[in-house]
Amino acid sequence: MSNFKDWALQYVLSDDETAQSEIAKKAAKEIENTRASSASVGSWAASIQPWITITKQDDDNSDDDDDDSGSGDIIARAKALGFLADTLEALDKSLLRPEQVIRLVGFFGAMFSYDHKAGITASAKALRQLYAMKGFKPAVGVKMIEDVCKLKEDFKLQTAATRLEIYELFLSLVQDQSVTNELQDKYGTSSGFIVDIIQLCQNERDPRNLMLWFKLLPIFLTEYSTSDQVTEEIFKAFSAYFPITLRSSATPIGITADDLKNAVRACFASHYKVAKLAFPFLIGKLDQGDAITVSVKLDILKTVKACVEQYDNPQASVVPHVSKIWNSLKYEVRNGEVKDTIDATLEVLRAIANRLDGTKAQKFSVSLLKNYIDIVVDDCRDDLANPTYTKQAGLLLMTVITTNIRAFTLESAAFVDIIRKNLRQPKSPSHTKDLLLLLNSTLKSRADLFKNRKQGNSEDEELFKTESKDHLVALYHDVYLPTWTSKSEETTSEVLKQVVQGLALLATQQTLRPDGQISLLASRSVCFEVCSLLIHTLTKGLALSQNDNSSDAAVEDEAVLALQSVVATYTDGYAELVDRAKVEIEKRDWTSPSKYTLNALQDILSRLAFIGCSRIPLNIALDDEPPKVFKPLQHFIKLAASMQDLFPLSPLPTSEKESLANSYVISALHGAMLHFRDACFEKFEPKVLEAYSGSDRNWLEEFQGLSKNWLHQLQGEDGSSEVVIKEDDPEVYREFLRISLFIVRHLYREAAHGKQAPWTERVFAQVANLAALVVRSLDENLQKSCNLAQNAFNFFFSEDLSSSGPSSVAPFRKLLILGILQGLRPAAMAELYAPQGIAETFMCDTSRMATVLLAVGEIRGTICAVLANKYKGGQSTFDPESETMKRVLSFWGEQLKTATNTDDTDPAIFEVYNTVTMHTLAGACARQDKNVLSLVPILHEAIASPGPNGAIVARTIGGLVKTNELLTSENHAVVKRFYKQWTYTHFAKPLYDLALPTGDEDTAFAAGRYTTAILSLVSNCPFEVYQEDLPALVRLLITALNNNSSASSGGDITQPQVATSLEVLVEILSHEPEALKEHLKAIITAGMKTYEEAAKNTNKVLARNLAAARKLTLQLLRAIPKKFEERHLLPYALPMQRMLAMASGDKSREARKVALLARENWAKVSA
Amino acid sequence: MAKSDLDNANPTVLSVSQLPSRNLAKGHERRGPDSKYDHILFPKQWWAGSSLNNDPSVWTSDEDEDDDLTLATEEPIDEQEIYGKNYAPSGCTCMARRNLLSTISDPEHPVTLGQIAVVRLDDIHLSPSPAERLDPNTLTNVEVDLTPTVNHCSLATVIGLAVRVRLENALPPNYRIIVRMKDGSHAQDDQVNKQLGDKERVAAALENDTLKGIIEKMLETCV
Repeated sequence: MSNFKDWALQYVLSDDETAQSEIAKKAAKEIENTRASSASVGSWAASIQPWITITKQDDDNSDDDDDDSGSGDIIARAKALGFLADTLEALDKSLLRPEQVIRLVGFFGAMFSYDHKAGITASAKALRQLYAMKGFKPAVGVKMIEDVCKLKEDFKLQTAATRLEIYELFLSLVQDQSVTNELQDKYGTSSGFIVDIIQLCQNERDPRNLMLWFKLLPIFLTEYSTSDQVTEEIFKAFSAYFPITLRSSATPIGITADDLKNAVRACFASHYKVAKLAFPFLIGKLDQGDAITVSVKLDILKTVKACVEQYDNPQASVVPHVSKIWNSLKYEVRNGEVKDTIDATLEVLRAIANRLDGTKAQKFSVSLLKNYIDIVVDDCRDDLANPTYTKQAGLLLMTVITTNIRAFTLESAAFVDIIRKNLRQPKSPSHTKDLLLLLNSTLKSRADLFKNRKQGNSEDEELFKTESKDHLVALYHDVYLPTWTSKSEETTSEVLKQVVQGLALLATQQTLRPDGQISLLASRSVCFEVCSLLIHTLTKGLALSQNDNSSDAAVEDEAVLALQSVVATYTDGYAELVDRAKVEIEKRDWTSPSKYTLNALQDILSRLAFIGCSRIPLNIALDDEPPKVFKPLQHFIKLAASMQDLFPLSPLPTSEKESLANSYVISALHGAMLHFRDACFEKFEPKVLEAYSGSDRNWLEEFQGLSKNWLHQLQGEDGSSEVVIKEDDPEVYREFLRISLFIVRHLYREAAHGKQAPWTERVFAQVANLAALVVRSLDENLQKSCNLAQNAFNFFFSEDLSSSGPSSVAPFRKLLILGILQGLRPAAMAELYAPQGIAETFMCDTSRMATVLLAVGEIRGTICAVLANKYKGGQSTFDPESETMKRVLSFWGEQLKTATNTDDTDPAIFEVYNTVTMHTLAGACARQDKNVLSLVPILHEAIASPGPNGAIVARTIGGLVKTNELLTSENHAVVKRFYKQWTYTHFAKPLYDLALPTGDEDTAFAAGRYTTAILSLVSNCPFEVYQEDLPALVRLLITALNNNSSASSGGDITQPQVATSLEVLVEILSHEPEALKEHLKAIITAGMKTYEEAAKNTNKVLARNLAAARKLTLQLLRAIPKKFEERHLLPYALPMQRMLAMASGDKSREARKVALLARENWAKVSA
Repeated sequence: MAKSDLDNANPTVLSVSQLPSRNLAKGHERRGPDSKYDHILFPKQWWAGSSLNNDPSVWTSDEDEDDDLTLATEEPIDEQEIYGKNYAPSGCTCMARRNLLSTISDPEHPVTLGQIAVVRLDDIHLSPSPAERLDPNTLTNVEVDLTPTVNHCSLATVIGLAVRVRLENALPPNYRIIVRMKDGSHAQDDQVNKQLGDKERVAAALENDTLKGIIEKMLETCV
């Protein structure tokens, strides 16, 4: 038994916490071993007697003279008690018997009366351990509280950690149901213990303790029935802290000011019995006016909101205070300037309206809500007539009325009526605008309420069935139409925009019929009139003369958006719009229109496409009519059929400009497809659409049985023959693709066989782009089953038509081939690559090449690029030996060899040949086709060949790596990630050694050509590709500049490599200026020489090249001072400043701008 | 400087959009909600394929003006250019403007000389006029008349000096620069004009570090 004494001594002497807890565990073990016999527990408790006895004397002494002589003993005593507490913590909680617990509680409880200096921390801890014991009885809990409360004034002298122990003890006790019952029994509603605890803790300042204190107080309110007096005491205890702040501290404690604010807020909102205290208190704080900061104001408002939302029994807790809250809060909005406060205030007002309406499960009496809204309406009515307060008053009213469906159905009529009356006599244009804005916001909120009608109480939905709608429907004739037509000074563009928005909101309002069916709120006639008004705004542009300024682009754009939403629900409106626009367009003669008229046409067609096709229409019945046939694609079909009718607007265009009208019609179709595709992507997941982008049927076969007018037939159909598609079925997308493919087929056939006149290059290009969009959206199987690869060449006829037809137009018809090929997936093109198949024949076709324009050569070349790129040979393909591409490439290799080795081929014709060759190679390079490598020596040889054709090859070889918009992953092209690096390594790298001048005249010529070729490639590559060859490249660049910058030495400043060299130098300068450091002198001299040469040259034909050269040189010179230290530049500063001074008088304004900036940069050098 | 020390504590300030500017002839610009795909539907070049030949004229229609073509247009320096605030064609991001005078800051207020109408487009004169000047190397006189906001403005010389420095730094050497106070706009315009016209005095003024600092500060805003 003497063990305990030893341990106690060891514990007291030790300073190490781990050692202490080890000792405590030993003691606990010893007690457990004796099954907590009275003897062992007794001697354990007695083991600390030496220190306790001293305590008594100590205390007596200190009462007499308050010295610190006993402080050492206090520490020892505290430790001795700690030994007991720690042992209890380590002890098995079920071991101690109830009477032992009572005795121990008595002992530790006594400490709170006697030993305020040393005993509290350990005792509080020990009590918490005893509370957790199995032998704990509720009555003991009551005693614990009473004991602790005896601490009284000395509580605040305890350390924060000690107080924390006590708070935790209290919290455990008052949350314990059995202790609660015991307390209620003993104290009843007078709840003396609560008053005691509050008195004990009322001056708490430590944030961590406060968090517990604010947890404790609400429990008193919610778990105990307290008298009014006690409730008030509790309220005072937490409201004293409001508004709470937290001083920032150097040592973070893990509690923020927001945590404290939330905790206090939770106290306020914990129980409705404090409502009569809380609301006046909070409102009182708020009414202090300017004395409080924004953040305090926000805290108050949030607290009010929490109270409103969380108090039970709102009839008793909230209703009595509503008018007081309103009277205080309205000024926050009416005269408020801070957005955050205004928003928070509106939140409170909304919370009140929602609370008075009831819950999802149960609605309260309507009078509660009605009385509240009446107060609001009465107060705001007059303000609406005052332009200064219209916005604010409207905001208040609208917020309250649109909070929930019942509020809206109750009071919207009154609200709308007030606005309507004010709109009749507006005080200023901005007053009209504000009022309209309010009206529009109300309508918008109504639409939102309707959309979310199922989320609230089930009665809400019923309200929509019976609501009165007349006041809303009448808005058109009473408000919007008069405002629109009045030509008074109040109708500014801003006002008109509001009217247009309002019209759209009105015409799209939905409601419930008594049978539960959704229908439009406005009648057919109102919808029709709204549409007519908006349509007129858009179509009048066509009829106006150039000098008429009555059209307002902003209003028109608003009308476009308005119609977009209106025709999505009132679907008849779109047909009306398209028909009216069509009539207007057909009225005009489009053979030689003015630019102004063409712009008007472009606008109206582009808008038609956007309005009808950028949203999938919704199937909503009109209020007074039975449901009719609905097709989600009806707008798209309507537009497509009408465009089909309109084309060609100008049947015999004689110039590109005259064919613009025709191309705009095609653009409208293309735009409609782009918009509709977007609409589908917005509504459905991309993965879903992918699954719907194919079909197991061959659409083209189905089209064969259809007449040209199929689209018109589709329009007129009542839907009985077709499968009816709902608007939320992804099948819409498949049907859209099917109709689009039909349109492509129709256009292609027209282009190939119809009258040739309207089909100019521009129109071909438009159709090709449209086809590309449709084709690339189809999945691989469908592309295959429709045999689109073949159809690209025979334009959806059964025979190949690609090379027939009048020769003047036919060449550009190749654009159509390109249109389809560019969108095809490689696998769908496999068939083309059979040996001697279509692809090979096309790529190796040189017939008529001598007579075609370069532009046609480009198109031809691009087709070859696509064909070469999407090629795939090998087993189980149509080209099992992988020979096709090899043959094509070697064919062009031979052509190149012949053309450059002999002088038989005219350079003009060779240019076309070369274009096709380069494109074909570029397509193969992107795929990193190894066959290309066999052409490397041939190309290198061709470049160095003495004839002019070699120069063409050298100049254009960069085309191999030039970014081609058609070779992208969107177009399913095969583009390897590092193909530019690959091509550069094989084509440019070997040339560096050969390109350096050796002084020998024979090699000098070839070296010049090689330089051109390298520059051509480099200028089309990103910097990283040629980074490692910088030293050699920089030498080449300087040589190229020097050789060409002086006319006297036979150089030509207009050579393309001058511009290219400058571009590459600027690029290097921005990425790695260090590489140029050693060559600064050469670069600056060459740059200055180049500029002077270009400025001297007055050749008008080359003006553009010269100006570009001057600008690039200046850009290079401008960048230099920023990249190098001053000491490197000083020698050149003076001559450079002189030159730049001259350059700031350059002929071209663009060049002058750069010169000025360069001059500023260089001015700093000598400074 | 305290507010009461200012020569003119409350000058009339124009907003930037009110200043005269060069409106370049623009094509039909569409900005409505339907213009999202205009780059695809109405491309500048009717065929967007990649061309080996860097000659855009093959693919653009005759009336569409290309950016490159404006580069080649010969436009001599005119009054508007000296005044500043050119509207650059939309989409042009590089060095959009060449502002010579209008964006110089006022030494007293955080506004530009253009905004308080000290520098006015109408008061900049070139002789011979840009239209007559066929050879860019012709000797040309630039006369700039300044209008101080109040007629006792003590900073008139400083402003005049800044304008002069700016023009000397920005114009080619064949431009002779004359900066004056507009007739009757300043109580001591003769003296100020004399000071600004005297090369020696201008050079001496620029030796003064304080003055040089003020002028550099004024010119910071014009790039």
